[in-house]
Amino acid sequence: MISDNNSGAAGSHQLEEEFAGMSSFMSRTTRLALAGLLLAGASAQAHHSFAMFDHDHQIKISGTVTHFQWTNPHVYIDLDVPSDQGDLKHYTIECANPGILDRIGWKFNMIKVGDKITTIIAPLRTGEPGGLLKQVTLADGRKFENGGPAGKPNIQ
Amino acid sequence: MIRISRIAVPLLSFLMAGAANAAQPVTPQGLTGTWDRYSNETLDPRVTAVIPVPPPPLKPKYLAEWQAQQQAAKDADARGEPLFGGYAKCLPDGMPTMMMAMFPMEVLQTPGQITIIEEAYNQVRRIYMNEKQLAIDDAEPGFWGHSVGHMEGDTLVVNTVGIKEEVRFRGAPHSPNMQIDERIRMLTKDIFEDEVRVTDPEYLTGPWKFTWKYVRKPGYKILEYVCEANREYQDPQTGGIRMRIGVPGSGSSAPPAAAPKP
Repeated sequence: MISDNNSGAAGSHQLEEEFAGMSSFMSRTTRLALAGLLLAGASAQAHHSFAMFDHDHQIKISGTVTHFQWTNPHVYIDLDVPSDQGDLKHYTIECANPGILDRIGWKFNMIKVGDKITTIIAPLRTGEPGGLLKQVTLADGRKFENGGPAGKPNIQ
Repeated sequence: MIRISRIAVPLLSFLMAGAANAAQPVTPQGLTGTWDRYSNETLDPRVTAVIPVPPPPLKPKYLAEWQAQQQAAKDADARGEPLFGGYAKCLPDGMPTMMMAMFPMEVLQTPGQITIIEEAYNQVRRIYMNEKQLAIDDAEPGFWGHSVGHMEGDTLVVNTVGIKEEVRFRGAPHSPNMQIDERIRMLTKDIFEDEVRVTDPEYLTGPWKFTWKYVRKPGYKILEYVCEANREYQDPQTGGIRMRIGVPGSGSSAPPAAAPKP
């Protein structure tokens, strides 16, 4: 199942995290604006960029896990997703790294081949079947996000 | 009387300084442990917030080049084709970037040495205490360089040389003569700061100064980090980062192809 969403703002969580230490007294908006204005370029080089993903047009996809790769610098979920035509489309979903995910409650073996899961992803801007994870709902109903830098889902 | 003072005062000062030196700690007290970078989520009212790192004070001709690179990275991001950089190549930060502490960091103090381990990319730097720094020509260029340290009062003073020219903080170019000076001290028992001063007479107009702070992460155990099987690769046509679809080597992996336009 694939659903589109055209609303919501682009996530700037990478910048937000980079400049989170500026001041507790600054509003989130001020911090984001400052971060964006002053040092966006510098940050892009210092950190991993998520610009290849379209954070504005997140989609929801459900399917069967064919592979779960728990590695640095990224964790990957491979998913076979039934299309409207009845065939399967293979998706690769990039997640944060094991450290970030461990620290927000993931476990290395919580996703297994054959599991039916639902994900919200920021799709690749190239149109290829892949994206950056925003949220995963496991077969048992538990939901996990992808850590601060990857940003939050903007659809349900 | 005046004559006696002229002799006695400096002598007394000298003796007192000697006593103070003898009482100095060998390493900063309490630095051992695991740490997170200090951010607004961990802000302590006793400690001021971290000020963002300013742009490098590069000499005009290098600054123009650096600004152009920054703009190119920004433009590439805006196009959705981020530039292929160190992390996508599985390369570690090196110094001084490592001290940004992207992920938690561990500090170990052993006789004659302070070891700092950064979880991201399993980075390790060793600070040799009370040793003479190597001549630049004798310091084999590396990612973390050659660091020596000594105590000045309650402050750990560290000098680092021998950073590979390709290892750049914020993309700023530097020469083999770049030196990184750090002043590390505890601000509270659970927060320490690292005042960094980068100097390079060939590239910089003056010292590039910034300060990072760290907050204790009690009970945290540093995870291993091996950069492996990254599915991000460099697009041979655009030079930007692409993501491989499918499991590499499984047959279901799509070969690298020209980027289809959405």
